Amino acid sequence: MRILVVEDERKVAELVARGLKAARYAVDIAPDGQAGWAMVNTYPYDLVILDLSLPGMGGLELLRRVRRRDAQVPVLILTAKDATASKVENFEAGADDYLTKPFAFAELEVRVKSLLRRGPVSQGGTVRVADLEIDRLTQQVRRSGRRVDLTPKEYGLLEYLATQPGRVLSRTMIVEHVWDESFEGLTNIVDVYVRHLREKIDAASPVKLIHTVRGVGYSLSEDSAT
Amino acid sequence: MTVRSIRFRLTAWYAGLFTVVAVALGALLFVHIKSYLEGTLLETQARRARQICDTLVANLGRTGEAYVAREVAALYDPEKSDRFIRITAHDGRLVYLSGPPFSQAFDPAAVPAAPAGAPAAFTRRERVAGEPALLIAAARAGAGGTSYLVEVGTSAAPVESMFRHLLLLLGLGLPLVAVLAASGGYLLIRRTLRPVDQIASKAEQITQHNLSERLPVPKTGDELESLSVALNRMITRLDDAFLNSKRFVADASHELRTPLTVLRGELESLVQEPGISAAHRERVGALLEEVERLSMIVERLFALSRLDAGEAQSEWVRFDLAELAATTAGQMALLAEDRRIAVTCEAATPVPVDGDRSRLKQVVVNLLDNAIKYTPEGGAVRMRVFGGQGLAVLEVIDTGVGIPSEDLPRIFQRFFRVSQSRAQYPEGAGLGLAIVESICNANRGEVEVESAVGKGSCFRVKLPLAA
Repeated sequence: MRILVVEDERKVAELVARGLKAARYAVDIAPDGQAGWAMVNTYPYDLVILDLSLPGMGGLELLRRVRRRDAQVPVLILTAKDATASKVENFEAGADDYLTKPFAFAELEVRVKSLLRRGPVSQGGTVRVADLEIDRLTQQVRRSGRRVDLTPKEYGLLEYLATQPGRVLSRTMIVEHVWDESFEGLTNIVDVYVRHLREKIDAASPVKLIHTVRGVGYSLSEDSAT
Repeated sequence: MTVRSIRFRLTAWYAGLFTVVAVALGALLFVHIKSYLEGTLLETQARRARQICDTLVANLGRTGEAYVAREVAALYDPEKSDRFIRITAHDGRLVYLSGPPFSQAFDPAAVPAAPAGAPAAFTRRERVAGEPALLIAAARAGAGGTSYLVEVGTSAAPVESMFRHLLLLLGLGLPLVAVLAASGGYLLIRRTLRPVDQIASKAEQITQHNLSERLPVPKTGDELESLSVALNRMITRLDDAFLNSKRFVADASHELRTPLTVLRGELESLVQEPGISAAHRERVGALLEEVERLSMIVERLFALSRLDAGEAQSEWVRFDLAELAATTAGQMALLAEDRRIAVTCEAATPVPVDGDRSRLKQVVVNLLDNAIKYTPEGGAVRMRVFGGQGLAVLEVIDTGVGIPSEDLPRIFQRFFRVSQSRAQYPEGAGLGLAIVESICNANRGEVEVESAVGKGSCFRVKLPLAA
């Protein structure tokens, strides 16, 4: 899988490229719109990550050109602007997804993965992490075969953590996925719910699944070293 | 109209000055005419007295006293012409005394004698009780070794009655003049000052949210026109300054995002590196927490600058405020439960509101979060939603620590924090309530607060009720 990162801020570009390379993607960096356009025309990319505010040719103009040439390649917009009006404009110009700075790298990785897979992660099926079983159809949760009763919010939180096992998810990401944008900045609500979830999932078991990574967030995995 | 208003003061001055001038003029006229008329009358009497002296008394030695008395009665006929004539010899003997006049204005017999030692010619006023004054001129003449005093007088009644009329006229006319002056002055001043009222009422309406509006400029060419033009120029400068500071906040928060992204990304990858020691992971984690807080402040500033720019109307829908409050309370119940705080929501009937639902939800979230945060464990937070009189009202009432009254006026200002809360909750930035106010204003509403230290606070959001 080959990804093009069009970003004029060298440090941001390097950060994104380094992380994606670590996740075993091939990554190219274009520092401006002209270079980005030249590279899109040279290599067949599976995904383009595009910063909107670029010197010379703007991100939006590049996006339009890419869309005229190739309607298929997914484009993820990186931007510092998140006004609703520009959001609508971006999607109209053909963006597939959208991330505002400052973003957590884990969030970027989730988006990239989902865009490359094309379409959302399947809604059905059973998710298993160690002896934790989540039936996504009936929304039933079992730990060591014992049924655990969760409130809808607790279930949402557990499902979000369990579908990205081993990945540290920031509280902001959790708030955005499980609650909604109105709760932005109210990350202490995540701590409270995680504590309740721990009592129900982990308290009775010697193997703890929910881990806290200070300053970053929470993860769910068998491996306690995360 | 207050006593200190220019309209009142100018009118009072105008009317007062006018009255004083009119009174002074009247008094001057009165005194002057009176002395002139009396002087003229006395002069006539004096001339007549002199005449009697020269023509009759001077020859008295030849003609005899009886002749003189007869001649005076025949020539001057004092009774018919309302005149008083008395001729007295040096030794006080009466030579002639006119009879009572037809008009009965005075009684000649009651007129007191001239004072002794008076000069050769003099005038005087005699007033017999209950009668008009008598103006008397006297002249002396000698004949046959005896000196005679001739007194000629006339009643001042016509003059006095004329002055009574004049006084009456002035007494009635002056208040009328004063009233006319006051009302005329008032109308004139009111017309002149009407633009001032218009300018003042418009100036009251202009706040930082509608600085693009201007004051009306009266096309009068006078000082008021130049005043309103000058004020408008000042509003333009204020508008520019506000725009600059808003743009600065928007630009600054925008520019801070890229370095924050780098900072956050690098620290995140560092904290998850396999080789890092637990102690270092803890320290990087602490740094990440600060980065997160910084990001949150930047986000909120950016949200505020977007609200300032009026972007809130983009997602305008009709929704039930009561339902929104109840749902949000439910979503936050665990947060309250965790601190053993009971959250109740009283919303009996649907309260329809037009607005940006997700932003108004943020208002409820922020207010509830504050209420829960500042209420001690075991306390209660009550939310009430009701509609009436064209208003949709949402109240968040807590039994918390309360806000000192000196801090209440500044509670919605950006970055303002009650000093006690700064120590207790260092993670906040003092932007939550500023956002609440901005969102309320952007949705054509307002937010107000009542609070008592130690008892709790009540935040009240008022929005227009949808028809």
